[in-house]
Amino acid sequence: MNRNELVGVEAARPARFRWGEWPVRVGLLALLVALPFIPPFNREDMLRWLIGAALIAAQAIAFDFTAGYINVVNFGFAAFVGLGGYTSTLLAVRLGLSPWLGMFAGAAVAALVGFFTGALTLRLRGIFAAVMAWFVGLALLGLTRNLTDLTRGALGLNAPTLLATADNRPYYFIIVAMMVLTYLALWRVIRSHIGLAFRAIGQNLDAARASGVDPTRYRVINFTLSCAFAGWLGGFYAHYYGILTPDVMATSHTVEVLAVAYIGGRGSLWGGALVAFPFIFFVEWMRTNLVELPGLHLVIYGLLLILVMVYYPGGLAELIRWAGRRLRRLER
Amino acid sequence: MTTAKNLRSVPLARRLLSATWITVGLAVVVTLLVSLRYPIILVNSLVTGGMWALMAAGLALVFGVMNIPNFAHGEFFMVGTLVAYYVFTPIHKMLLKNPSPLLSVVAPFAGILLAGVVGAVVGLTIEFLLFRQLRRRSKEQWVMNTFLLTAGLSVILINGTQLIWGTEFKGIPRYWEVRPLVLLGVSLSVDRVVVFGIALVTILAFWLFMRRSSLGRAMRAVAQDEVGAQLMGIDLNLVHMLTLGLSSALAALSGASLLFMFPSYPTVGLKPLYVAWYVVILAGLGNVEGAIAGGFIVALLQTLTSYFIGVGWEDVVPTALIILILLFKPSGLFGSEVKGIWEQ
Amino acid sequence: MLEIKGLDAGYDFLQVLWEVGLDVAEGEFVALLGPNGAGKTTTLRAVAGLVAPTRGEVLFRGRSVRGLPAHQVSRQGISFVSETLNLFPAMSVHENLLLGAYTVRDAARQQASLDFVFELFPRLHERRDQLAGTLSGGERKMLAIARGIMSSPALLLVDEPSLGLAPMLTLAVFEALQTLRRRGMTILLVEQNVNTTLHLVDRAYVLEQGRVVLQGKGADLLNDPHVQKAYLGI
Repeated sequence: MNRNELVGVEAARPARFRWGEWPVRVGLLALLVALPFIPPFNREDMLRWLIGAALIAAQAIAFDFTAGYINVVNFGFAAFVGLGGYTSTLLAVRLGLSPWLGMFAGAAVAALVGFFTGALTLRLRGIFAAVMAWFVGLALLGLTRNLTDLTRGALGLNAPTLLATADNRPYYFIIVAMMVLTYLALWRVIRSHIGLAFRAIGQNLDAARASGVDPTRYRVINFTLSCAFAGWLGGFYAHYYGILTPDVMATSHTVEVLAVAYIGGRGSLWGGALVAFPFIFFVEWMRTNLVELPGLHLVIYGLLLILVMVYYPGGLAELIRWAGRRLRRLER
Repeated sequence: MTTAKNLRSVPLARRLLSATWITVGLAVVVTLLVSLRYPIILVNSLVTGGMWALMAAGLALVFGVMNIPNFAHGEFFMVGTLVAYYVFTPIHKMLLKNPSPLLSVVAPFAGILLAGVVGAVVGLTIEFLLFRQLRRRSKEQWVMNTFLLTAGLSVILINGTQLIWGTEFKGIPRYWEVRPLVLLGVSLSVDRVVVFGIALVTILAFWLFMRRSSLGRAMRAVAQDEVGAQLMGIDLNLVHMLTLGLSSALAALSGASLLFMFPSYPTVGLKPLYVAWYVVILAGLGNVEGAIAGGFIVALLQTLTSYFIGVGWEDVVPTALIILILLFKPSGLFGSEVKGIWEQ
Repeated sequence: MLEIKGLDAGYDFLQVLWEVGLDVAEGEFVALLGPNGAGKTTTLRAVAGLVAPTRGEVLFRGRSVRGLPAHQVSRQGISFVSETLNLFPAMSVHENLLLGAYTVRDAARQQASLDFVFELFPRLHERRDQLAGTLSGGERKMLAIARGIMSSPALLLVDEPSLGLAPMLTLAVFEALQTLRRRGMTILLVEQNVNTTLHLVDRAYVLEQGRVVLQGKGADLLNDPHVQKAYLGI
């Protein structure tokens, strides 16, 4: 399967390399990197929030890769993250593997499970894959809770941390780097002939097949990749927070990532990452300040998700693109 | 276009050998055998089976007719428990002061019935406010979008309930203060017997409605060919409201009936939700009758797993089995009567 | 009974019909002919309420039905038998027919329609309990037409009934339409089979590229040079 076989495919071209956009993105990245040095963000609790936000951001990117490009909602996403975390932790605790390597082992295991899930269900309608991924997630959750000899069940595991320091700042840079790497890697895939195949499948299934593109194969590739990154990030989760419980795999965590990705704009990859930061700050602020109204932030988020889906499915990314176009028109 | 197998034209022997009937047969045989030794399994399977059947039927109905994978279905169960609690508890308190045998018998039914009504109203409202708007605006990626929408809805309902009514478990020890019956050497609480009865009656009424009534037929028509249904003079909006209302009523009914087993708290609907989904995927998306049968089968599976392997494995075993079955029969045990199961 | 004036209609950004006008008087049997892609189906769908016209009028018995949702058009007494038939495959022949009479309240009238339909299509009576999805092509067409007349519509719209049918079955279908016509039903037929159609209908319109280019009595059009050259291969 090479580029030549795709030449006949009629598909929209991937987003062009608009010089106008990149300065903004690099600027935002610079801001992110500089934040830990600017008060009040240099406080340890703020840094924890930032790390949490970057983690969600990275997850949203991996999630959107599947939801936005092959129209499959990986509803067991949190379980793949947790699987990566548990794999890495168990390898570290039982075999003394370095957490840095463990994260990649976590990615590999998550990719493997993702591969089988996808191979089994992606021939069928997207809803099957979504629900089966959910079941796989529930099964993983159940297994993690029940195989107490291995995982200590609900008691959880203590994972060795990546670094010896108790300082949050270096972890922040690590997760931001992981987030950027996730984005760049997946973006690169989108721009490659594999990404072209995704679009071809999405636009005209029969034409794609006629050009020799096997839809199932590309869907499985996509799904597996997404799960791989999920596992990788799960490794970070484990070796940063130092504690891992089965609740990490709960469906509500998937819904969190899902909401962020969709509000950010399905298919944009970066939209969710952008939304993640204010999201986490909003959540944490509400949690600390409006203690009498627990869960209100989630109600608001649920409402926002619904409103976006019904009235503005393009999400924040669409809004920004629209603003960008208006600005450019003003310039002329 | 779905291809329906005409059962009448397939020889009886071939029919009986089909995967579905083998499974059903197996389930019945296993149940009978196990019940001889452990009657409690039969009892538990039947009681929970009835409820899962109702939950799954509602879910399958909404998917079949409206093409919506309802992730908030469990929340209707939760609404049922809530309504039943707040209707029954004050009456119960009053009965403690002024006992009345008649009212004691009737009171639980009041709660259960009202729960069904409230559930229906919530369903109708959601269809009117949410899905109708979405249908007007864009029908592309409908299945995925509504899946996500219902996920958001679920979050709102769970946390909204938490905000208003709190997280404490609101339960009751039992509905009827009557001595348990003893059947087959098993002590059966009256509550469970009545619940099973309610489930049976509801399932029967529901089945008759779908099969024989004009409206039920209209709903099935919409499930099979929306345009065709419109051409027959069927108002789609009306059918959609009816469908979601009925589906939520069924879920609320099961929640209310099981209040003595499942106390009311915001996340109580999560387990019924994923069990309903197990059943629906196992039986075949959109296949309502299959879902009813599947409810009992899954209940049996869970009871067996819980009894012989351990309580925590209830999630793992069904998933493994579903994966196995999907490997050989992707359309589910009883086949999918849905608008195309293969990728479009 | 049916008047279409200056109708513009299309799908998304593609306009298919341009100022189409035609009328069908009560009891008439009118055909809409033309090549593939001319917009014949779109015209019927616009009347049936499945496509919303952007301009023009559709009057049924003097009242505008333009823009009405399909189920309301059906309730007005217009029955549409589509080219794709839109049968309910997992329901029996009998149930499909019952649904055809969905808007008929009176049980006696329903039964009368059923009897009439089974008389008209004895094959359907034989297969009344068979699932619609398992019927042969010809039987499905018959079922679709039968279902369409269950509500005793004032106007019957039929889209390409002979498509994909063997000649004998085509004949049977046309005979059925003739019977209905003799019983006073008003029919607007879209067909590609020009020869047979022109021998059967009272009047016909020829639609080409979304515009009405010819109209006249069936017999007259058979002798029309353009029709002969383009559609009859003479």
